[in-house]
This record gives sequence, C-alpha cells and structure tokens, in this order.
Amino acid sequence: MTEYWRWKETRWHDEDRDWRDGELITAGVDVGSVSSQAVVMVDGELYAFSNMRTGSDSPESARKAMDWAIEGTGLTLDDVGFVVGTGYGRVNVPFSDKAITEIACHARGANYMYGPSVRTVLDMGGQDCKVIRCDERGKVGAFVMNDKCAAGTGRGMEVFADLLAIPIEEVGELSLQVEEEPPPVSCTCVVFAKSEATALLREGWPKSKVLAAYCSAMAHRVVTLLEQVGIEEDFAITGGIAKNIGIVSRLEGEIGIKALPAKFDTQIAGGVGGALFAQSLLKKKLGAN
Amino acid sequence: MARQAIDDGIVGRGNQDGADLFRVWFDGLTQAAESGRGAAYVFVMGSMAELLRTFDLPIVFPEINSLQTAVRRVAHEYLDEAEDYGYSPDICGYVKADVATQLRGGELPMGRIPKPVIAVYTNACNTYIKWAEIWERMYGVPTFTLDVPGTRAAGAQTWPGDPDFENDRRYVAAQIKELIALCEQVSGVKFDIDRLRENMGHANTMSRGWQRVLELNQTRPSLFNALTDGTIYLGVSNGLRGSGAGAQYFVELVEEMEYKAERGIGTLTDERYRLLFVGVPCYPIFRRFSELFTEWGGTFVNSTYLWFASGGSNAGFQYDLERPLDSLAEGVLISVRDAMDAMFFQTEILVEMIDAYQADGVVYHPIKSCRTVSTGLADNRRALMESRDVPSLFIESDMMDRRVVSEAQLKNRVDAFFEGLAARRGQAAAPTT
Repeated sequence: MTEYWRWKETRWHDEDRDWRDGELITAGVDVGSVSSQAVVMVDGELYAFSNMRTGSDSPESARKAMDWAIEGTGLTLDDVGFVVGTGYGRVNVPFSDKAITEIACHARGANYMYGPSVRTVLDMGGQDCKVIRCDERGKVGAFVMNDKCAAGTGRGMEVFADLLAIPIEEVGELSLQVEEEPPPVSCTCVVFAKSEATALLREGWPKSKVLAAYCSAMAHRVVTLLEQVGIEEDFAITGGIAKNIGIVSRLEGEIGIKALPAKFDTQIAGGVGGALFAQSLLKKKLGAN
Repeated sequence: MARQAIDDGIVGRGNQDGADLFRVWFDGLTQAAESGRGAAYVFVMGSMAELLRTFDLPIVFPEINSLQTAVRRVAHEYLDEAEDYGYSPDICGYVKADVATQLRGGELPMGRIPKPVIAVYTNACNTYIKWAEIWERMYGVPTFTLDVPGTRAAGAQTWPGDPDFENDRRYVAAQIKELIALCEQVSGVKFDIDRLRENMGHANTMSRGWQRVLELNQTRPSLFNALTDGTIYLGVSNGLRGSGAGAQYFVELVEEMEYKAERGIGTLTDERYRLLFVGVPCYPIFRRFSELFTEWGGTFVNSTYLWFASGGSNAGFQYDLERPLDSLAEGVLISVRDAMDAMFFQTEILVEMIDAYQADGVVYHPIKSCRTVSTGLADNRRALMESRDVPSLFIESDMMDRRVVSEAQLKNRVDAFFEGLAARRGQAAAPTT
C-alpha cells in the first residue's frame, strides 16, 4: 500500500571539508513530534545533518538521527564537544548536555540560515505552528503558538495527502492548479477538515480544488497567529510546511510580504539553533576550564 | 533567622490557619446539610455575605466547591456526570461540577453542602444568572439578581459625589432593600441592622487586611506566591467574609507578612523572576502548574485573580458603619465594579502592577471553561506590549477540565518564556562596548 504521507528522509554532510581541521564540534538534536533532526556544526559552520521521522521512542529517534548525520564522516559522538537537545523530546536526548526549547533554537537557527535581518520567524512544524519575533542576534523577543489541534500543521497535511492519494511533496503544486480559489475548508480540527474534504470529493470537486481549499485555510489560520504578535520584516519560514508552495504562496499573498528564500533544508532550523547554542556553551565551558 | 521565625510560629501561619478555617467551614456546612437547614448560594464577585449572615443562613460558594474538586483531582467524575445528565462539554466547568454535586445530594470530597433556600448573585459574571436558574428549576427556590452598574468605558469610573455615581448607588441600595425583604421571608429571621453593622465591621477589617497583604508583596523577595499561597488567602477572604474568624485571620495574616517583610523572608522559591498572573489558575494540575514556573525561579507576585475573584476586596473599601445600608450599596458598587474592571479593563491595572511590583513578566492564562475572564486577553496582551517593554506569555488550559490541559505543551511554552527572560537579563547585564 502506498504511503502518500511519507516524506523523504534526508541526510547531508560537507564532503569538501574535514571536521578534524575544526576546533569546536557541536551538535543540535531536535526531536519533534513528527520528525527528528541532528545537526553537526564545525566552528559554527554547518557540517552535517540528518532529517528523519520520529519513532515512538524519543531517545532512540535521537540516537538514530545522530548516527545517520555522522555516517560516513569518521566522526563519533565522542568527538562532539557539546550537544543541545531541543524539540518536544528535548529532555529525552540521552547524549545531550543541555535542553533548550525549540522556540529559542528556531530563532537562533533562522538567524544563521536566513541572515541577521530576520525579525519574524514562522515555524510550521509537525504538530504545532509558532511565530517568533527576534532581534539581529536571533534572540527571542516574543512568541505565540497555535492551540492543540494538528490542523494547519505537518501532521494535518500528511492526513490530507493520504486521503487524496497525492504524494505529500506534490500537494502544494497541485493545490495551485485551480482556476479560482475555492472557499477555505474548516481548519480548526483536522478530523472535521477531513470529513469536509470527503464530502467535497463526493460532490465532484477535483483533488486540486480540495487541496486549494485546505491550503488556503491553513494559510489563513497561520496569518491569524502572525497577527497576534505582529509581522516585522524580514520574514522567514521554517519547518516542513515551508516546503509546501501552495501554503507559502497563499500566506505571502495574504500578508503582502515575501518570505526570504531558503538556502538550507527548512526542517533543520531547530537543530542548527541547537548546535549554535552548543557552540556558545562549549566555548564557555572551555573558557571556564 | 529562619529558625527563629519558625519558632515564633508566624511564618506559614496563614496557609495553615486558612486550611483549618476551611475545614471548620465545611464541617459546619455538612452539619447544616445533615440537619436539613437550607443555605444561601452565592458567588465570589459580590457575595453579600455580610448581609446574609444576619439571617443565620449558612453560605455556600459553588465556585469554591467546584474548584476544590479539581484541586483534589476528582473534577472529571463530576464533569462526566453532568455531561451524562445532558450538559454540553462547552459549558462552564464550575457549573457542571455543581450540577453533579446537586445530583449527588450535595456530596463533595470536603463534606456535604446543604440545599439552597435562596440564591443571591450579581451580574459580574453572565453565567451566574443562568447557573442560579438551574437551582430555581431543581429546588423551586427564589433567586435574586443584584444588578451592579459597571464601568461604562476604560478609565470612566465615577465616584461618590458624582451625580452618575449617586444614581447608581441609589439603584443598588433599592435592590438591597428588596433583598432584605426576601431574606426575611426565606429565613424567618427579622433583619437586625446592628448585626449587619457588626458584620460590615469584620468585612472592613478583612478588606483592609487583604489590600495590605497584596501591597506588602511588593517586597523583594516576595512574601507569598500569588498563585498558590494567594489562593488560600483568597478562599478565606471569600468564604469567611463578614465573620469574626475571617477578620481575625486577616489581622494575623498582615502580622505574618509584616514579620516576613521586616526579616526578608520570602517564599520557598529562590526568586529570580517576579511575575504577574492574568486569569484563573489551572486547578486540575494546580501544584504542577505552579512548579512549571518555580522550577525556573519564577514567583507570582500578584494576579488579576486575587482582584476579581475577591469581589474587589483588594480595593480595601471601608464601609461607613454610621450609615450601613447606603454604605453597603456604595461598597458593593465600587468593589464589584472593581472586580469587573480587573477582567474587562486590565491593561491599566497591569501597567500599574508592573511598576509597583517590579515585574519581570506577565503570564496570560485564558481558559476554555470561562469565556468571561478569557475573552479579549490576546488583545489585552498586545495593548500591554505596546505600553510596557515587559515579556509576556500566553498559555491556554482550563480551571476544571483535565481533558483540555496538556502539560507537555504548557511546559514547552513556559520553558521558552524563561529562556527569553534569562537571555534578556543576560543582555541587560552584558557590558556595553
């Protein structure tokens, strides 16, 4: 049976660089509700990362993500000077030296990934959305998160991909293939949204139109969240949903602001921030010694 | 010093005595229930307890009973029972727990409450009116709505001497006269103005004490945690309002707080951040909810809850015992209005609190069960952010219903809030180059 919701797990490491030439090797491990990432940095520069699904066992997910990130690099965990755990499973990263929330890590990570001009970060994650206001150093000023439902998040999108039998990577593009925008579906509850979509399919709506209605609803929901703390440019989007052009373009249209283009995998922002925090903490630790 | 304080038996006395007084109060209610006496059912915002006591009516606070089921972790049993009976999950959790209590013949974890013979309430909460109608239907008892005119617009309160205020006062005074007649009829006890005067004197002592206790918490370190300790004091402020025991309690509580202030004795938390709390506490995980903050060194130094849920006693209004009925109307008008303002016009109050209490942050806690206190909090937060550069946190859960309390989600947000506070403090302490 095809699992349309299953997104591609990825890993990368900088083959042009030898980590042995660096002094400070740090890692950030972001164990989220849907995905886990391990990011390794050498002297504050991205060296390796992995991005995979979170399993039922958070410590095991953290270990797997870390093992995969350093696979083929010759690095071992013992070579990493400091590890920061982040995400919902941050306290379940067995090899971490400190736990920091993903809110702080996403702000710091976005500062690295998009540059110091970023003032508003929208993280659209697996089971929550958050808007973070930050300064030029990536320090959090204010933040707001969505409520408890998975509607409007990555998990909600997975449910829709499965329902419509559309590979999740294609959902965004397909949702744009409509002549005019349909009215948005319900987005306060993913179960209700699914029921509504089923009814629309029965009425004869094409899949693209149903997806357009859902993406539009998700975008609008996020805009409401953005308005709670206010949007200051530059604006960046992190998390898995940042890869969905159907939501991002509708969101940009509604707020009248373009998000900065992504230079890295948008899902690793929390891990990047964690690794950067780890670098600062390692410096402090070494200085103290 | 701490050892000396413990030996003096003063530190912690307010918490211990508060718990003891509650036990005695509930024992009295249980006895009343068992002997078939009927009670006056009232609410915290404008209980009229000083008047009702003159008719020898046992006083029942259903809001306090309901929150006690949550603190004692049995609220879900009561909520389920009321929902099985037909009440929607979206209805106020306090109401539903009370409905189940009535269905159980008044049985509560703390004892048994008598049935009502009268319900007295103000318009401070719109649910009060519909809630009392339930008892009216269940028991056929009279219900009395004391309509208290509120503030018409932010900062537009009127005061004694102003023609608008005098109109409002006369309006409330006329209603109180009607209430007295109804109470005489229900209780069979003739109204005694000297007893009212005595009870109002006790209420004066309590209000004065409550205001002083809150004011003393401006001390650094703070003397009590407004979320936890404060709720105990609040319970006495409401449950024993207008009684000699309540007055004595507040005299001693002020003494305890002054003792602690003079000696620099704070709470058990190593106070690193002074916080203000907006809304109603999360009673289903009351202790844990507080720990989410104290683990980071966060102490709540004041809260809007201690204002509105005390029926405005925080304002310290003093009745003029020479003209009890007029003064009662004036006090109810000012205090209940203040309680409503603490919900509906919070920005000004919070700005004052931030300055007076040197607060490092503000925690907003809207709850699913109560839209009255929760509506508008997001807007209020934005308004506050525009007038003061103080970090704020917005977390949502419930005062009664464990099903809508997600501890992991709360912790995530609380941790991030403190990380932000720590970073902010670090930046402020960093040398400028």
